[in-house]
Amino acid sequence: MLDYLRLEVRRTLRDTGFVIGGVVMPVVMYLLFTNLGDGADNEWRTASMIGMAAYGAMGSALNTGGGVAEDRTIGWLRQLRITPMSPRQVVMGRALTGAVTVLPAIVAVLVAGGLVNGVRLDAWKWAVIALLLWLGSIPFTLLGLGNGYRLTAQATGVMNMVCNLTLAVVGGLWFPLSLFPSWLRSLSSYTPTNRFAQLGTSVADGHAPALGAVLVLTGWLLAFGSYAVVSYRRTSRTV
Amino acid sequence: MADTTETAADISTGGAADQAVSFAGAVKAFGAVRAVDCVDLEIARGETVALLGRNGAGKSSTISLLLGLNEPDEGVVRLFGGTPEQAVRAGRVGAMLQDTRPVPRVTVGELVGFVAGTYPAPMPVAEALELAGIAELAGRRVDRLSGGQTQRVRFAVALVGNPALIVLDEPTAALDVEARYAFWDSMRAFTRRGHTVLFSTHYLEEADANADRIVVIDHGRIVADGTAEQLKRAAGGSLVAFDLAGAGPDGLADLPGVVSVEVRGDRARLRTDDSDATVVALAERGVIRALEVAPASLDDAFLALTSSDTPARTARTFLETV
Repeated sequence: MLDYLRLEVRRTLRDTGFVIGGVVMPVVMYLLFTNLGDGADNEWRTASMIGMAAYGAMGSALNTGGGVAEDRTIGWLRQLRITPMSPRQVVMGRALTGAVTVLPAIVAVLVAGGLVNGVRLDAWKWAVIALLLWLGSIPFTLLGLGNGYRLTAQATGVMNMVCNLTLAVVGGLWFPLSLFPSWLRSLSSYTPTNRFAQLGTSVADGHAPALGAVLVLTGWLLAFGSYAVVSYRRTSRTV
Repeated sequence: MADTTETAADISTGGAADQAVSFAGAVKAFGAVRAVDCVDLEIARGETVALLGRNGAGKSSTISLLLGLNEPDEGVVRLFGGTPEQAVRAGRVGAMLQDTRPVPRVTVGELVGFVAGTYPAPMPVAEALELAGIAELAGRRVDRLSGGQTQRVRFAVALVGNPALIVLDEPTAALDVEARYAFWDSMRAFTRRGHTVLFSTHYLEEADANADRIVVIDHGRIVADGTAEQLKRAAGGSLVAFDLAGAGPDGLADLPGVVSVEVRGDRARLRTDDSDATVVALAERGVIRALEVAPASLDDAFLALTSSDTPARTARTFLETV
């Protein structure tokens, strides 16, 4: 299974679309949004860093689903089924690939924050933020898998992009919530993306993530998880 | 490890384990269509068998059952005395599937090497690439190869695990003539090692040239099973062809000796057991324009066995009495 993981990670990292959309874009957007005009205050530099890292992580997590849809369409999943690997090893390998390929986006944006934008945090905070962003990306991996097992490769790409942009904007990953009208602000606090970024920002502010954030994310984890399972069951008969 | 499994299978199933492949009354329906309709088939270890049929005859569905990609609705499919899943998990099966596209963003060496690693006793990757005739492509990306090269990569993927049974679903579909010959050269080099091989094709000459035995499938049923020679004999002694000149095909099937009637354009082709009697009867009707009498070819045998006016059961029974 480790060989499978290595193969799939390699394939993902060679995907120009993934590298640009999932790693380069969040870094560039972060640097642009925090340095254009008068520049940003320290608080926004930190918050935006976490928001963009979350955005990049979500994009990469959703991309796992795109990979599954592609593998399904080209018959690679069928070919895997007639190797001695068990179906569970294949699914596990794919999920681990998702977990690994989320890391470059998180690391790249945090590094840009620390080195370019001069964000200063305690060492343990950097570590905990990276870890929480990594764990918090799991619901998005499941959402991507749900799309990937259900839809064609093309439809998955479109669907992932729609989910990605909507959740990023409404969740406040791109712009501070203070710019939103109040109704949107209250809606935003129920999105997985808003709470995902909140995991990181609360640590940067020096306290543990709010119970609300954990509860909302857990709810989305269960919802997206069920979606992925239902989608998988629907296609496993035809793969 | 493999030996222990085999012994266990031998004890539990007795003689069935001697067969590489065994179908008993297998049925698979998709909606109202019975893609596999009560198939009985035994393939002994070391045999090279061609599954021959038109497009949509049920070849791929049969292969899906054999590989455990689909479950039969009725009947039983066994590989080496166990279920297809057991055989696949034990690394005794390698396959080249139809309708798969190249895996993007991996090199030939990476892909074949990865597949080798999933099998318990693979052959060296270099050897597999050599056998498939793509040794020089190891460093190339799979998604940047020509159609013929891609097909050879898929062949290398099927054989690198050194499986006892290798299954090739239309391995030469969409290849040009030269690539097809090159492929079969590689293939023969592999079969000489004593592996069991099942391949499907709709090219008769491929089945004739590369298989010990030909299984003809039509409408999901096995309509003939034997060597190329047996098939030709089974198809009836001769073929009588003539121009209808507008006379119409009515009553031709009732003429003495006639086994089947086929009309293409204005020309009728009668397969007959007794060409003399048929020709005499035709002469009486006065329809012997551009008359031609020839021994049946394998093509004729195939057409006769799979034509819709030949009841499948009759054809099979007929062959068994030959």
